Amino acid sequence: MLPLRNGLDRTATHRSVPVSRTAAISTRIDRSFSGMASPRPTALEVERLRRVFLTRNGGVVDALSGVSVTVGQGEIVAVLGPSGCGKSSLLRILAGLDADFSGDIRWNLDDSDPRSANRRLRSATVFQSDSTFPWMSVANNMRIGMAGLTLDAAEVQRRIERYLSLVGLDRFHNAYPHELSGGMRQRVAIARALATEPLLLLMDEPLAALDAQTRLVMQEELLRIWREAHSTVVYVTHDIGEALVLADRVVVMSARPGRIKAIRDVPFGANRSVMQVRSAPEFGALESELWGLVAEEVGQSLAKPNGEA
Amino acid sequence: MSNAIVISEREAVSLPQKIMKARRLRTVKQIVLGIGFPLFLLLLWELAARAGVIDQRFFPAPSRIAAGMAALLSDPGERERLLFDIGATYHRLALGYVIGSVLGVVTGVTMGLSTNARFALGPLVNATFPTPKLAIFPLLIVMFGLGDASKVALIAFGVFYMTCLSTLSGVLYSNPLHHDVATAFRIPAWTRWSRIVVPAALPSIVTGLKLGLGQALILVVSAEFVAADRGLGQFIWDSWQVLDVSRMFVGLVVVALTGGAAVLIGEIMERRLIPWSTH
Repeated sequence: MLPLRNGLDRTATHRSVPVSRTAAISTRIDRSFSGMASPRPTALEVERLRRVFLTRNGGVVDALSGVSVTVGQGEIVAVLGPSGCGKSSLLRILAGLDADFSGDIRWNLDDSDPRSANRRLRSATVFQSDSTFPWMSVANNMRIGMAGLTLDAAEVQRRIERYLSLVGLDRFHNAYPHELSGGMRQRVAIARALATEPLLLLMDEPLAALDAQTRLVMQEELLRIWREAHSTVVYVTHDIGEALVLADRVVVMSARPGRIKAIRDVPFGANRSVMQVRSAPEFGALESELWGLVAEEVGQSLAKPNGEA
Repeated sequence: MSNAIVISEREAVSLPQKIMKARRLRTVKQIVLGIGFPLFLLLLWELAARAGVIDQRFFPAPSRIAAGMAALLSDPGERERLLFDIGATYHRLALGYVIGSVLGVVTGVTMGLSTNARFALGPLVNATFPTPKLAIFPLLIVMFGLGDASKVALIAFGVFYMTCLSTLSGVLYSNPLHHDVATAFRIPAWTRWSRIVVPAALPSIVTGLKLGLGQALILVVSAEFVAADRGLGQFIWDSWQVLDVSRMFVGLVVVALTGGAAVLIGEIMERRLIPWSTH
């Protein structure tokens, strides 16, 4: 279905993508102390992605038009934009939930080692609302996530233990979701995704349904979990602060038709923590710059008559 | 000052007791009214019958019915006849219910998962669903004969619609996020069916199974009214025709108890099959 070029795409490590003209002024903080000068190998390349929806009376609505982006291995990319900008469309396509698109998606799966064949998923998704199965224990919720992989029982058990303890739920193997709080259930969903050791971890506003305090705690947790699991992440959010705290790079999308409006490198380094980033002097400047970019789009999408479809 | 503290301490002890007391009173009320009101109605009936307000030939006083029932049940021949009729009815019920519910659940899940099956069977099932099932009983007699088979088929038919349509809506309207998870994690088809689709639809399936139990009971008694040489329906109808009202009430009580048992079985089924839905 999707073109896969197994590990042969090392040449395509360009970190810049076609960006609209407004993005060109962003270099003032790029790499100032990010220490990311060496290009990473590519995990994923998306080129000229287009998705349209047909309205009831046959009209064509562009959800995504010509989105191109490259994600490096181990990179955290936040996709930021107002509601209706197509960021969820982008995520659903990457998650394999939507096949009605045109354009290229190239996954740089390292399949050169036959032992690693079918031992990890191309992508695993953490959804916005609670996606645990209420009729399964925590361990079985994780086990079913690995059902499509070829793993022996010992490896499955090892992964359950490793990732449950990584999200801080080691003592909850046999608990059922209704016995857990919303934040804990979301941790189960994160552990389930991590256990598939995905090339790309997709997160669709995973903290949006949590209360403000839990959200801060979870942001800190996510930074630690990603660091320990060496995750490559595409993180969809509408929260500017969250994007800056969590991401190495922020991609701002425009309102319909969804395009990439700007890309900003976030200069806070690999060992950042939530409070350290929030109190950094650059944070305020970046936040207000991103807010400016997003605010234009919010105004635009509100001005359109059927902005919610 | 110290006085105030003592008072508040006493209150702190008595408050939980007060709440407990109110809760216990509520439970007592619930039980007393639940049993007392039906007894009150029986008493009204008894008084009305004795006062001659209602016709004793059709509505004998509850005390007379009870005496008649006791006399009937102490007669070994009659008792054997009753047990024989109960056995016949339960046999038909069980067979028809199992056949109907298995077919219903399987068809419902298939229609939920395959659009082709839904397009092909949907109009047919929906168009024939509102037909009173008893109306096709003559047709079933032509097809399956006058024996047990036609009655079993009638029950299976009624149960099939209940379970099929609830299962279908359960599969179609279960949380779409669960389907997204299955797709996003590339969960193999069989695992998806057995571990996600069916459990997600289970609350609706159980509702269908519960409705089916009631439907099955209605249909078996109706079918036995119309065409049977044995069974509870026949027992009631037979008693009515010879105006043996006490005997008729024995049949009615057994049917009512069966209905009560069916509801209880439904509740147990629900608690066993979907423990998570009560939370």
